[in-house]
Order: sequence, then C-alpha cells, then structure tokens
Amino acid sequence: MAKKATNSVRGVNYSTSPLLASKTPPWRSRFLVLLVGGAFLVLIARALYVQVLEAEFFQKKGEERFASTLSLSASRGRILDRNGQILAISVNAPTISINPQQFKANADQKRQLVSLLGMKPQELETKLAEDSAYAVLRRQIDGGVAQEIRKLGIKGITLEPGYLRRYPENESAAHVVGFTDIQDEGQEGIELTFQKQLQGHGGSRSVVKDRLGRIVEDLGEPVDPRDGSDVQLTIDSKVQALAYQRIRDAVQQHHAKAGSVVVLDAQTGEILALANYPSYLPEERHNRTGAQLRNRAVTDVFEPGSTMKPFVVSKALELGLVKPDMMIDTSPFMVGPLRVNDDPHPHPALTVSQVIQKSSNVGTVRISQKIEARDMGEMYQALGFGSKPQIGFPGAATGKLRPWRSWKPVEKATMSYGYGLSASLLQIARAYTAIARDGELAPLTLVKGEEATASVQIFQPETVRTMRQMLRGTVQPGGTAPLAQPLGYSAGGKTGTAEKMENGRYKSGNYRAWFTGISPIDKPRVVVAVMLDEPKPIYFGGLVAAPVFKGVVEQTLRTLGVPPDLEVKPQVVAQIGGTEPNKTTSH
Amino acid sequence: MTRVSLILLLALMGSGLYLVKVSYEARKLFADIERAKADEHQLAAEATRLDAERRSEGTHLRVERDAREKLQMRLPTPDATLYVAETRAASGGAR
Repeated sequence: MAKKATNSVRGVNYSTSPLLASKTPPWRSRFLVLLVGGAFLVLIARALYVQVLEAEFFQKKGEERFASTLSLSASRGRILDRNGQILAISVNAPTISINPQQFKANADQKRQLVSLLGMKPQELETKLAEDSAYAVLRRQIDGGVAQEIRKLGIKGITLEPGYLRRYPENESAAHVVGFTDIQDEGQEGIELTFQKQLQGHGGSRSVVKDRLGRIVEDLGEPVDPRDGSDVQLTIDSKVQALAYQRIRDAVQQHHAKAGSVVVLDAQTGEILALANYPSYLPEERHNRTGAQLRNRAVTDVFEPGSTMKPFVVSKALELGLVKPDMMIDTSPFMVGPLRVNDDPHPHPALTVSQVIQKSSNVGTVRISQKIEARDMGEMYQALGFGSKPQIGFPGAATGKLRPWRSWKPVEKATMSYGYGLSASLLQIARAYTAIARDGELAPLTLVKGEEATASVQIFQPETVRTMRQMLRGTVQPGGTAPLAQPLGYSAGGKTGTAEKMENGRYKSGNYRAWFTGISPIDKPRVVVAVMLDEPKPIYFGGLVAAPVFKGVVEQTLRTLGVPPDLEVKPQVVAQIGGTEPNKTTSH
Repeated sequence: MTRVSLILLLALMGSGLYLVKVSYEARKLFADIERAKADEHQLAAEATRLDAERRSEGTHLRVERDAREKLQMRLPTPDATLYVAETRAASGGAR
C-alpha cells in the first residue's frame, strides 16, 4: 500500500529509480561498519570500566542513593564507690544542629529555642542565613534542655547523640576519680588509669532510608555498640566526703597552702578515702591550675620525721634490745658532727614508752644505735619506703631511701627520727598498717576485686600490740597530740612537724605538719594520715593535723558502724524498751 | 488448557497484590520497631541523666551543709548515742 501511495505521488517505480543506477563507492559501507563497530567497542570499554575496573566505586555510589551507615555511640563505663554509689557517669548530651535550608519555625518557637540554648536571637539568625545544609548550634547540651527542644517540634533541627561526663561528688573525690577531655578520653586519676576498661566501643549499622529519611530496612547484620565496663573503687563516698570536708576546713582555718588526708581500712589495706585540698570541679574544664590538680597525698613526698620513730622502737623491742619501761638517757649528745637534742622540751631521761609519747629525738637515736644498720634499712624497705605503691595511680611517688650499706652513722641517726629519707602521705599511712594489723603490712588497693599483692610480715604480733599501747600515750594528756583523741574511740598515733625543704635547703618559716594514727587501738579498723602544708601561724602537727584526725576517725567509725570502745559520759535522755537511760555499753 | 492458564494468571495476580500488601505492612512494622527502639534509647538515656542529677542533688557534702545550715542539725556524737547491744532477736547493732 505504501508503494502504491508513493507511486501515486511520485509516479516513479522504486525498482526503476534512477538513483539505484548510480554506483555506491565501497568505502561508504566500510565506513559504516567501522562506525558501528567502533561505537560498540566504546560501549564495551565503558561497560568494562563501569563493571570491572571501577565496579566498587560505582556500587558504592549507587548504594549511597538509598543506603546509609549509621554510627551507634557507646557510653563510657561508670566509676562507682564501694557501695555502688556513682562517682562518675556519662549522660546523654546531644549536639544540636540545624539545616538552614529546611529550618521552619514561627517567631514564638524561635524565641523559645534561643532562650533554651542561651543564645542571642542575632546568633541564630546568622546561622540561619548561612548558605549550607548544616550548622551546629550548641554542643553537649543538657539532656533536659534537649527534651524541651524536641517538644518544640521545629523542622530542620537535628539532635545528634553525644555524652557528657558527670561527677556527682564534685570536688570531694576529684583527685581520685579524675576527669575526661572533650573526646571522652581519661586525663587524670582513675579515668586515666582505667581508660581502656571504661572506654566504650561504638557500633555501626547499614540501613536503607526512604525519601523522608526514615529507616525502612536493615542491610546486613548491625555491629552492636559495646558500652564501657564499670570500675568499682574501694573508696567509700561518705567517708571521702567527710574527710574532704575536714581537710578543707582545717586548711582554711590554719591558712595553710594545702592539705591531704588518707583513710585506709586497717585490716584489708583498702583505700576508703583519699582527699586533697585545694581541689577542683571535674566538670569544669576551664581555670584549672596545677596546684588544684595535684593529688598531693600520692605525688608529694616529704621527710616523714617523727612518724618513723615507732618503727625503730618496734624493731628494738622485737630484737629484745629494749623493754617498754626501760629508762633511756635523753640528755643531748653528739653523733659525729650532729648534736642531737630535744629542744624546746629537754628531758634528762625517759622510758621507752615516754620516748614515743614525748616524741624524743635523743631517745630514738639512742635506741637506734642498738640496732644494726642492716636491720633498720631492711625494715624501712619492707615497710614500703623507697618503692612505688602498687595502686596504678598516675604519678604515684616513689620517695627516697638510700640503701643501708651506704649509711654513715650520722645518717643512721637522722633516719631513725625520719630525716634523710622521703615518702608520700600514702606510703606513711600504709606503713602504719603494719602496726595496725599485728605486724603485717597490708597491700594497698583502690579498685575492688583487683588482685592485691601479698602482705608482708614485718613485726611479731606481740611487738606491735605493745607499740599500739605506746602510741596511745601520744593522744593522752602529756602526749604530743591530746587533740587527736576521738570521742568514744581509743586511738594512737604519731605527730610530725618539719621545716620544709626547698631546693635542698630547709626553708625557715615554712612548715609541714602531719599526724598518722590508728583507731580503735585494740582492734584497729582504720589508719588515718593527715598532712597540712604550710599552716600559719600555728604549725605543730599536734595542733593542726591532730584535730582533723579526731574528726575523721569519729565520723568514719560511726559510718562504718563501729561501736565506741571507750566510756563516754552519756547525755542520752531517750529510753528504749524500758532499759535504763544514761547507760552506754563499752567494749 | 486455556482455563488452567487463566486460573494461574489470576493466582499470580492475587499473590502479586498480596506481596505488595505484605511488604507495605512489613515496612510499617519496621518503622514502628525503629520508633520504639529510638524511644527506648531516649528513655534509658533520660533515666541515666535523671539518676545522675538525683545523685548530684543529694551528695554527702550538700546534705550535710543543708542539714547544718538550714535545719540547724548536728552530727550525733557517741555521748549523745545510746548503743543497744546486739541480741538474737534484734540483729542490727549500733544505732
């Protein structure tokens, strides 16, 4: 039919068309074949490029159109005290961002938003005018504020998950717990030491999203996030808080530069409290000074002074060289170039017990001269002096103790009353556990369930029982620290006061005062060590550190539920179950 | 033969439509689960936050300060405490 039509129009038969008569040159057909063939080659090459050479890239690009990978955040583990109270916890603190192109809010919503975020309206307008699809409004906002913002239902606002570290105990436990930086990495204290354990491991999940950004399907198995593990400390947050409070008040009252207090469980060696003042707020990253950050009880070393005397006397008792009521000549005498005396309160002669009670340097040197340097040196070493406490704390000081072989007689003399060696407050407190637990030095632990190093037997049980009775004398009238006597509990301890050494010289006028003690004396439960740095104008350990000891012991033992072992004049007026009032049982 | 084909065609169409319905429902349920999971996550986070907040409101330091300053309370000393000996009937010890 088509043919006919053509015929009718043109009036020329196709087969007789004159065009057919003209000869086509052969290159035309070859050219066409080449052209088409070439086009196919290009196609094959492109296919090869897309499907083989760059397959991965194109697949990825394709997936991006519908699939997206979400990162799942994991939270950092908590730090708990011995009773499970929270010392550090990560809370949700989202980052709030906007998409300026999609942002839709009425004037009222905008007003509420800026007031919730604490921004100036101008600031929000500047962000909204940005020519991008993403602008951060605020990072790490409070979870409560985030909830309010969610409720506003403003379009174009995104809350990205994030965490903020909270420290409920604030400054009182700051030196133990430490803090994290903005990347959630531990910077100090337990946060730093246990970074690996506390750290969470984020997960990821591949999903298919629809046009509105809703997840419609999972692609493959998601990788679940793993939250960090909790760390439980031996610290008792109640004891910690009251110890901090006591040392803070004492530092302020005595115009001291700083102060520290350590409370140890006398039987297990667990650290119940470790507080320093000045302290800092772990949640505030600004305005921290090195002086605030220093965990003085662990990092600062000083000459332990008189607190060493009980060990020397114990050794002499143990070796049978002295007896508690033996008289010792305490008149001043010379050891090499050194004149040993007991200024400002000289005594002609004292019993061994009184040497401890009155803290006599002459008496202690006389007693130490009966002991071999080797016995004394090895005992100091066994008590943990000159070796780093194994508590895994950053910056724990080792202190100095020269090997006994190199001691000269004058050095042995000064070392007997605690000069010529150095130790941290924590080391001194630990050494006292040997007196508190029948001659055995307790291993120090700060983390619950952590393998403790074996305890070491240094003295015989009878020796230290005698020594504890002698130490009791110091807190009684006539002793060096009657202010340390707690109400209702028996206690014993030793004061220390020393001029501070700076750059190898004693700095006149600047003192350090401390007190280390045990309570109750028959069945010791706690060892408490208190140190004040540069108290003014009163600087004697028995006057500034001893009252802190008393306060901490009274409240700690009460918190631990230890009944008083001393008779107290009762003021109880209530009557329980028909029993006589005004009756206090003593144990 | 034609009839069998017709039946198969109808069955195919039916199952096709059913597939559409089922996958629609599956997506809807999936979206619900997603929402519920997000809610769960958010509530858990909120609970943690509130717990932390409650702890900071009730720290020992703060309680002690408020008790002392606002309520004029003081800590009981052993001389103002009546210690009851522990018996079998009433275990508890010091109070």
